[in-house]
Amino acid sequence: MPESIPASLIVETLRDTFREARAALAAEVTEPPRHDHLGWVLSVPDTHQRTVLAALDKEPAIRVLTLATEDEANAVAAGLWIGGEPCVLMIQHAGLYASVNTLRGVAIDGQVPIFYMIGLLSRETDREPRESRHSMVRYCEPLLDTFGVPHARLEGPDDLRLIGQYFRLSRERRGPAGVLVGMPTA
Amino acid sequence: MKPEDALRAIAAARGDAICVPTMTTAPAWRAIAPEDLSVTCVGFMGGASALGLGLALARPERRVIVFDGDGSLLMQLGSLATIAGARPRNLAHLVFKNGVYHTSGSQEIPGGLIVDFVTMAKGAGYREAYAVRDLGELQRCLPSILGEEGPLLVELWTTLAEQTPMTAPRGAPFHAQVEGLRQALLKPHL
Ligand SMILES: Cc1ncc(C[n+]2csc(CCOP(=O)(O)OP(=O)(O)O)c2C)c(N)n1
Ligand SMILES: [Mg+2]
Repeated sequence: MPESIPASLIVETLRDTFREARAALAAEVTEPPRHDHLGWVLSVPDTHQRTVLAALDKEPAIRVLTLATEDEANAVAAGLWIGGEPCVLMIQHAGLYASVNTLRGVAIDGQVPIFYMIGLLSRETDREPRESRHSMVRYCEPLLDTFGVPHARLEGPDDLRLIGQYFRLSRERRGPAGVLVGMPTA
Repeated sequence: MKPEDALRAIAAARGDAICVPTMTTAPAWRAIAPEDLSVTCVGFMGGASALGLGLALARPERRVIVFDGDGSLLMQLGSLATIAGARPRNLAHLVFKNGVYHTSGSQEIPGGLIVDFVTMAKGAGYREAYAVRDLGELQRCLPSILGEEGPLLVELWTTLAEQTPMTAPRGAPFHAQVEGLRQALLKPHL
């Protein structure tokens, strides 16, 4: 059975992921950006991950930028990547559908590593998302497959390591990669 | 004012500012300032200002200048509020207002020349916004465009460009531009 993941654990994992990304960059380049924060969450608020957004309000080391659209989030992510800043896009499945052209144009054609955390709002616990009664849930994994975006599901606290893993994968592949948040975060 | 003349004036004064052209400013800018410290928004219409915002937030020590299209800005108009909310002090957002979708065949944009991006930017919360109608006025405004605290929007009233991305030779692909600018900013160890 999929389980909710506590927000505090996700925030801690994001901190570690960003810290690691900064250290990796500092080893590679002579002029990494210098900031007080560790990284960015680019958010078009996802109902499923709202407790994470609430926890991030109290986390000064991670800057949250709320955007009007997921298209903007992808383009901002590209600007941050060029400038050397690590970020995560926190969106929901509907936001993925809303921004496919930008994902294609920016992350795929631009070979920009963009890591997505996508909330599967309305996902049922008794079936696979691909079999969901809700089109919003059903099309998410097939759409990512169509675009060749590697993805994994966060089905409980044991899966937290997938955040760092898929973040690094986006960098190794120079393109999009994401995790799908199966249950509302706690 | 001809967009090429406006871009030449900006190129002469920009110093090490990062520039983000899109649509018809892309081939013109390529000819005037060949590829250095620039990245073109190509393939995701409307994304130039958000791309510029990401750059501005990552590198606050640099000026970032976006050369937006009027049709492009309409496609992602919410970016005005996003940019205003993020308050990048180093971002200048120039809108090349020609009233049409020149690149796709010069169809009039919704509202045509009546659309007032200055009022919209002010309404969204930009620190400053104004229109520039001719080259002399642009010359006088360059210190503000390059140095005034942002976010700043400047609506440039321009004629049609000589070339569009459809008629001009292709520039470097987007991924090569991304990598080139990234290396120029971060300076990898050799
Ligand atoms: C999502 C999307 N829809 C439609 C198009 C087709 N298109 C290409 S260029 C263009 C017009 C751009 O107009 P504007 O931003 O005003 O720039 P200008 O060509 O006038 O410089 C359009 C509609 C596109 N590239 N992407
Ligand atoms: Mg136009």
